[in-house]
Amino acid sequence: MVEKVQTKSFARKFAPRIIKAALLVVITYLPLYFLSTFIEPFQSFFPWYGSLTNIFAAVFIVFLVVGVFTSGTIYQYVFGVARGLVSMIFFIYVLNGGIVALAVPIEGMGINIMIDLRVILAMLVLVCLLGIGKNVVQAIDFVSAKVEMEEL
Amino acid sequence: MRYAVRALGWATKIFWIMIIVFSVTSVYSVLNLKMGFGQPQIFLSDEEATISIPLFINNTGLYDLSELNITADVMDYNGSSVAASTTFVPLIPKGSNIETLHNISISLDEITSKAQTYLFNDTTFNVDISVKLNFASAIPFQVSMNMTIPWGAPLYNLSIGQFSYNYINLTHVEVITPISFENHSPYFSVEGLMQVEIYNDNDNGERLGLGVSDLNVPSHYGYDGQVEMIVDISKITGSGEVRFYFETSVFSFGPVVVPYG
Repeated sequence: MVEKVQTKSFARKFAPRIIKAALLVVITYLPLYFLSTFIEPFQSFFPWYGSLTNIFAAVFIVFLVVGVFTSGTIYQYVFGVARGLVSMIFFIYVLNGGIVALAVPIEGMGINIMIDLRVILAMLVLVCLLGIGKNVVQAIDFVSAKVEMEEL
Repeated sequence: MRYAVRALGWATKIFWIMIIVFSVTSVYSVLNLKMGFGQPQIFLSDEEATISIPLFINNTGLYDLSELNITADVMDYNGSSVAASTTFVPLIPKGSNIETLHNISISLDEITSKAQTYLFNDTTFNVDISVKLNFASAIPFQVSMNMTIPWGAPLYNLSIGQFSYNYINLTHVEVITPISFENHSPYFSVEGLMQVEIYNDNDNGERLGLGVSDLNVPSHYGYDGQVEMIVDISKITGSGEVRFYFETSVFSFGPVVVPYG
């Protein structure tokens, strides 16, 4: 009887989290999937992109799922910060510090293309920093609220 | 604390929206940008030849293009510049259509001084082309390429063979001069006239005779002909030089001096 009640409460507690995590995984993965499909014709020019995106997607999704399952604890924000850091490192790495240089061989001619994406990178890094900042502030708020609760 | 969290959350969302909107509209704008070159025209002045290439840019995108800079530098086999050109367009506003000329100037002095090399020796030209522009005043973009253009000598291996003589009378003889060369140029045929003069090796280099031959040598074909001229027997010394003058549709050049004997 007790086991049944425990199972029910466990299911009630985790079922919404599982659904939320699944939804977030789908929402997160879709843009990455479309981006990969869009970039596929040009993949021969930057072959490192495919594997790198898959690694990033896997790490990001793991942090996302763990963050959802640890919601209501301080770890939720820890994983949020980790997610922001991973995103920031990924963007800096994949955009080569903002200067994307490609060498495209066309009919025996070497064509060098250089795009300065530092403005875009700065915006992406800023977004990641804002995300990290938000998680830190939320963590402080969470800890202070917990201390207040314990004092009461 | 909650207001700070909410503000940070909104700021993050707004930045994400800005990045996504800018990225999507930038890709759309780049796909709607049309750029091309028209039929080149050649203008000649006393000092230089100018190849004028019409350039059109149709910016139907959502952002302005600025500081468009096109440069081309043509260098010969030893790295010295044969032709250089720059075109600068300060601004191409969105929705506008711009037509301009990209002028490549070639110094005629430079060409003439090196004509002997280009007419008789195969070589290569290195062409460096660079296009720079600033997209939406935020994304500098640069495309550069390096090409090697082969140059085939139109009068490659110009040489004279053994003279043969037809005696006309006691004082004069017909000298037949075999001449050969190969037109290695992939760009043009050698069509026109070739004037040949034979000189003896007296102190003043006295002219023995003069002959003219028509030329019509297509690209990658050889010329193997002869020029006949009547010469005074008493002036023949057995050695001297042959001078060639070329008057073709593409170039005029002479004298080219080839010793004989």
